[in-house]
Amino acid sequence: MTEREHSDRPVRLLLVDDEAHFRDAIARRLEKRGFTVSKAPDGGTALEILEKDPIDVVVTDVKMPGMDGIELLGRIKDLHPEIEVLLLTGHAALDDGVAGIKAGAFDYLTKPIELEQLAGKIRHAHDKILREEEKRREAEFRRQVEEQMIVTERLASLGTLSTGMAHEINNPLAIIKESAGWLSMILDKPEMADMPRRSDFRKGLEKITDGVERARRITHQLLGGVQKRSETIVDVDLKDLAAESTELVAREAANKGVEIVHQIEPDARRIRTDPYALRQALINLVNNAVQATQSGTVAIAARRAGGAIEIQVRDTGPGIPAEYRKKIFEPFFTTKDPGKGTGLGLYVTRNILEKLGGGIEVESSVGKGTTFTISLPVAEPTGADGRNKRNPR
Amino acid sequence: MVKIPIRVLVVDDEKDFVEMLSLRLNESGQKVVQAFNGKECLDILEKDGVDVVVLDLKMPGMDGIEVLKEIKQRFPLVEVVMLTGHGTAETAVEGMKLGAYDYLLKPADFEELLGKLEAARNRKESQEERIRRAEAKLMVRRSGGLS
Repeated sequence: MTEREHSDRPVRLLLVDDEAHFRDAIARRLEKRGFTVSKAPDGGTALEILEKDPIDVVVTDVKMPGMDGIELLGRIKDLHPEIEVLLLTGHAALDDGVAGIKAGAFDYLTKPIELEQLAGKIRHAHDKILREEEKRREAEFRRQVEEQMIVTERLASLGTLSTGMAHEINNPLAIIKESAGWLSMILDKPEMADMPRRSDFRKGLEKITDGVERARRITHQLLGGVQKRSETIVDVDLKDLAAESTELVAREAANKGVEIVHQIEPDARRIRTDPYALRQALINLVNNAVQATQSGTVAIAARRAGGAIEIQVRDTGPGIPAEYRKKIFEPFFTTKDPGKGTGLGLYVTRNILEKLGGGIEVESSVGKGTTFTISLPVAEPTGADGRNKRNPR
Repeated sequence: MVKIPIRVLVVDDEKDFVEMLSLRLNESGQKVVQAFNGKECLDILEKDGVDVVVLDLKMPGMDGIEVLKEIKQRFPLVEVVMLTGHGTAETAVEGMKLGAYDYLLKPADFEELLGKLEAARNRKESQEERIRRAEAKLMVRRSGGLS
């Protein structure tokens, strides 16, 4: 897209020559050929123009009083490396041209110049700029993909680590739970009625039981996130599913004065997926949205986007600061107080969606709100790829 | 109403867990025996009357599913409630297809476990009752045929 914009846009030229007559004549003729031309009588003026105006190609005379063309070329390459420079040399000064190319000029032309030739060289210089831009964009794209892969791998290894830990913790947790439960049972026996400081024991046991319950929620949520439920792929009506997903928080939202809006477009209603998993993901997102929003709206919207369905959960809450945005899908990342949030909701949500063959992205603007966008294939993913995606590892 | 104790066999390689759960089940009036691996479990079933086995699915050596298959083959009437520390419900579902009564995720809620143990025991008893009646019918028919 950007490339097209560039090639359709006229080439922006800066013509530098101390001879006003020559400068104006060439400029006029180049403008007729569709170039946008700025003019400068000397190197200093040229650099000032480059400072404030966007220029693609500089055409400069070499022989000028004060700063000559070769010096100007050096300054341009230092300050604006993406600009290409064409040199105009006197016909007896071939050395100037060669020196110029060594110093980074795109090419040189000897005076008297032939306009057709000059125009051709300018276009070539411009093509080179476009190619360089394309290369830069590709490199940038590759860098982004690599960064994304690092994030994905990091999440995957964190996932493996945390489910492994959840496993190991579950066993001692079960022992603590049974021990506390057993002691509570004994405490309830009639023969224990007169036990000294019975209420202290009871209090301590309750705290142990609560603590175990809290830890159990974490381990189960972690392990629940890696469960695969491949046998429940059915046709799902998103309108119903969205309604079910917002049901649980409807009261909380109403109490706060937060309006819940459903915007399911007709062609995005049907999807073939696992309703339980998708509902869990939506519940997580809607819960977060309602919790984050003090007043305003939480919207759940779905629309068709090619072979995919996009489901958005939007809120008008405080937004997520940029420094948190990268971390919110990591396990155990939370800004809530200890015991209030496990930091697993979005992590699990992301896992669920990936297993369904889809993905999730976040956009947020501090002070305005947050939008989570789920993308899911309309049909159930088939073939090796889809199956792979649904496997926990 | 007198509660009839459920005869429970707790099988888990976590000794502390077996001990604490047994104490708690005992305290709640059940009759508990313990085993720490699959082999011990099968040996006990060989000689003791057991209604329900509480079986951990993740054990070194013979794993829970293997033990379950063996139990169902050799003692088809004994009910099994599986305990899994593993989040994968599939193993548990596979177990139920193999004849286990139900499953719970570790750490399980005690009341829930007790409920399932009772339901499992009831299923076993009604099955045994049906077998007794069928046997009696068979006897009547046979003796009727003879006279």
